[in-house]
Amino acid sequence: MRIFILLLLLVSTTLPAATIEMDVNGLVCAFCAQGIEKTLRKFPATTDVVVSLEGKLVALSTKDGQDIPDEELKRALTNAGYTVKSIRRETETLDEVRQRLKAQR
Amino acid sequence: MLNFIRTLRRMGALLALLAGIVPAAIAKPIAFANGTTIMAEYGAGTMEEAQVFYAPYYWLSLGIGALRLDSDATSRTRDIHYLRANYLIHRWNLDDAQANIFAWGGLGTATGSDFRGSRLDREVGFQADYETRRLYASWVTDLHESSAYSDRVDTLQLGFAPYAHDYQDLATWFVLQARDYSGGIHHGVEFAALVRLFKGGAWIEAGLTQDAKPQLMMMFNF
Repeated sequence: MRIFILLLLLVSTTLPAATIEMDVNGLVCAFCAQGIEKTLRKFPATTDVVVSLEGKLVALSTKDGQDIPDEELKRALTNAGYTVKSIRRETETLDEVRQRLKAQR
Repeated sequence: MLNFIRTLRRMGALLALLAGIVPAAIAKPIAFANGTTIMAEYGAGTMEEAQVFYAPYYWLSLGIGALRLDSDATSRTRDIHYLRANYLIHRWNLDDAQANIFAWGGLGTATGSDFRGSRLDREVGFQADYETRRLYASWVTDLHESSAYSDRVDTLQLGFAPYAHDYQDLATWFVLQARDYSGGIHHGVEFAALVRLFKGGAWIEAGLTQDAKPQLMMMFNF
């Protein structure tokens, strides 16, 4: 059992940096985006945040081996006044997300 | 009166045109949770207002304000300093739009040219708004009253953006405004055409009323 727990800890601390994407309703103005960015940057695990009004998307990257549970993300955006439709983890980096969003415009 | 009816017809035609183009950006009393809003407005010489609000939650903000009303029909003036709480009654987060209903209330002190000393000012207000990235509509009513006066300002704004902005872009809006003052501050409805620009947390708006009087507004959120 101890070995299993140690293995789990080892795996969790060697996870690469993650990109989390959230589809959000109500994203229509820069002030919305500003509030959301400010809220998400407060998580210690957050390294960067991208908000796209066009894509109705909020994406953030986390530090190596760290994650933010869906419930906490959902609570943070709900407390910021917005409605989260879905949350997913992506393998793209946040810069790649930026490029994708730029290409879609 | 005839001019007023003509102006209303022109506004109606413009509204119909706007509705045909696309289904914006609205000055809200609560910008975002843990955010501070500073706002200053010069309203064609009849109304000047400055406000500072802090929002501990996305549905509540608290702050202070100063309002000066200066009648363009008489020599009547009001200077009001107030404490105010703004409350988001309901928000609809839609796929491509957001709608809100706000209410506020406050207390303050007022001095005026048509009464002696200062009076306790009571304020209540209400705002309903709807916005997409290309179109918005808002209606705001704000009542200040005391034992010496009752002044209400109703403002209807309709705006459209020539392009859909994204976060960090410069947003441009063209806004039509109709404002009605009670209490003899201004006779009839005052119309204004405005251009609004904002980027990040900074907002500036400028335009003219139908009497070619300037209207200016600045707002900063951080």
